[in-house]
Formats: sequence, structure tokens, C-alpha cells
Amino acid sequence: MTTDLPDRSTPSSTARLVRRELHSSRAAASVVTAALLIVGCLVLLFEAVLQAVGDEPFLLDLDAAAAWLGALPDGVPASLLGAGSVLLLVIGLLLVLLAVLPGRQARYAIPNGRAAVVVDAEVVASSLARRARIAAGVGPEQVLVTVGRTLVRVQVRPTSGIPVDAEAVRAAVADDLRRSSVDPEPRIAVVVADSGVIGQ
Amino acid sequence: MNTTPRGLNRWVLAVVGLLALAAGAAGLALLTVPAVASWWAAAAPRVGEALDGARTRTTPDGQEDTWLWLALAAVLLLLIVLLVLWITAQGRGRTGIFASTEDPRTPAVGDPGGPGGTDAVGTVTITAAAAEQALKAALLERPDLAAASVSTWRVRGVPGLRVQVFPRKGVPAYAVAADVSRLVEALDRVTGYRTPVLISIRSGARVRFSRADRVA
Repeated sequence: MTTDLPDRSTPSSTARLVRRELHSSRAAASVVTAALLIVGCLVLLFEAVLQAVGDEPFLLDLDAAAAWLGALPDGVPASLLGAGSVLLLVIGLLLVLLAVLPGRQARYAIPNGRAAVVVDAEVVASSLARRARIAAGVGPEQVLVTVGRTLVRVQVRPTSGIPVDAEAVRAAVADDLRRSSVDPEPRIAVVVADSGVIGQ
Repeated sequence: MNTTPRGLNRWVLAVVGLLALAAGAAGLALLTVPAVASWWAAAAPRVGEALDGARTRTTPDGQEDTWLWLALAAVLLLLIVLLVLWITAQGRGRTGIFASTEDPRTPAVGDPGGPGGTDAVGTVTITAAAAEQALKAALLERPDLAAASVSTWRVRGVPGLRVQVFPRKGVPAYAVAADVSRLVEALDRVTGYRTPVLISIRSGARVRFSRADRVA
């Protein structure tokens, strides 16, 4: 029925949607950087126009600033120059890392025939926690699931006197993960605490 | 889903970052390496003289100061405009039209005039709000979703839907994905288009602080 519909979505555009959704766009860093640069440029622009019309400098005397720059290790306390330089280094390193690092979001892609599907890791974790809780027969407060890119960690605190079948928990979690077929598929580690708690 | 220029963002951040790194490194080198400090002490006056020379040479007769100030102002103005354009380029791409018969990719549904319907007088437009409302109404009927939102964005020139759903705690993502994609296919049949669709299964503050559905 749907095959004869005009198709405006292609596999490549779907893959692109998924890729863009799994990585940060760096929009926030870009806006902050641009805003700071604009403020700096506005000050310089103002001073340049004042110089051009032969007025007194307002905030920053460009001639004095150039002279200060030429005399640099002198004319300013060493501690101040050092602190300023380190600050510039840190900001520069931060920006370069923002530009170079992949900026992965805590999300997974789920294969789907029709649409691009991405799911927050937190949603996967809460679904896994529910399955693990039912398999272990404990309350919601006794299960803690942490989902990373390569590892799913299930921590269970059993109810006192009632043993927890770690294999059953692992099987339930693996089943849930396989149904989601999240990509990439993480490993599963089930940790059952030695000491139990009083159950409800 | 938006048209944020991600490559440009990263390139400009890298350039600004490298400039800041260079300035910081130069400051530290001036402070700690005596050779660099003595080199700068020798080089700075020469730079200053060169600048002064350029300033006197570019000062027109009868004028007080050089026209280079105006050139600098123009360059800065251009830079500011480019930076403002960079900011406004972030997060754009929302569109208000889902489909229109003015579009050459239009299906010729029930139209004897052939593709594009050129024989017909006037155009038919499906606004984005129509598609969004239809999908959202279907999504909000579901008890396992705490919230849902649908918006329309341009994806490589064609309108595409972004469906954000916030399932309640413990609801399996694969079930939500399958059900939502079924709803999307129903929408395909109603509108006559297979648009690009992004289904984003999210966890928000509203879901985090709510209790799991006890009767699910």
C-alpha cells in the first residue's frame, strides 16, 4: 500500500538524521563565542571610529594599548600576566577540544524500516530496570541500571532471605536489549549485592 | 534535524581556539623564557616603527590621522556582520508547509492533469500544523507516553517531521518506536507522502520525577 507513494525520504537522509541526532551540534558554544567576539569587535570598532574623526579615546586607547603590548613582560605584574596567559590557554584548549571531539550524546539508534529512530540512554535504562526488577522479583528501589556506550551495569540488592537468580536477570536484560537492537550493542554486567535489604 | 552549520561551527571554534592558545602560549613564553622576552624587546620597536611609517604614509594632506582607521572600522564592521550571521544560522530550518502542489515532487492523486497538476487552477497546500496536529493527537491518546511533540523541518530541501515522545518510566523503547512508526505510516497514507521522519524517544524532567505506571 505504501510502496506506490512518492518517496521523499532516502536511506542516506535517514542515516544523516540519525548521525546528527547522536552528536552535539556545538551550537551553544558557537553562540557564546560569537557573542564574546562581537563585543570585542564593537569596542575596537568604536575606538577606531573615534580615532578616525580625531576624538578622545573612550574605553581603550589604541596607541597606549599597542605600546603596552610592545613592552610586554614589563608594565604588568608577572602574576597577572601569568594568570591571564593561563586563562587564554585554557579557553583555547577548551574550544579546540569542542571542535575536535565527537561530542557523542547519550543516545542509541534503533533500526527501523520507516523512520530514523534515536532513543535516550535513560529511556533504555529505565526499561531494562523494569525487566530486571520483574526477573529478580524485587522492588523498584532495589535495582540500579547504568547504561554506557559499551556496558550495561545492573546492580540488584536482593530482599533478605530470598536469593536472586543473576542468570535470569541477565537473560531478561539481554532479551530487552536484543528487541531494541540498539546500536552499538553493549555488554551486560549483573552485580547482585552480598547483603540483602528488608523488602516491602 | 535543524540546519545548524555543524562543520562551520567546529571550524570556527577550532580557529578561535588556536588563536587563544597561541596568545596564551606567547604570554607564558614572554614571562618564563628570557630569550623570547629579549627577542620581543628587540622586535617590538621595529614593528612599532613600521606601523608608524604606514600611518604617516597613509595620512592624506591636511588630515590629522590615517584613513587606515576607517579601513579598520570597515573590516571590523564586516566581521561583526559575519558573526551575527553565524549566530542566526544556528537552529534554523523549521517550516510551515508540509506539502504543496507547487512542489514538482507532488503526487498526482486524482488529478488528470498529470504530475504537478499543471492543468488545475490554483494549488493545494497541506500546512505543517495539519500533519503535526494529526500525529500529535494520535500520540497523546496513548497512556504509556507522558508527552509528545511534533514539528516540521526542512531536511535536504523537503519537509520532514520530527516526532519527540516522552515515554513513562519503564516503557520499552522498541515498542514505542514500532507503534510510532506505525502511526507515521498511517499519516503517509492520509497525506500521500513518505516524508523523512525522525522519531526521538526522550527522557525529560517530567518523566524523571514521575512514578512508573503501576497498572501498565
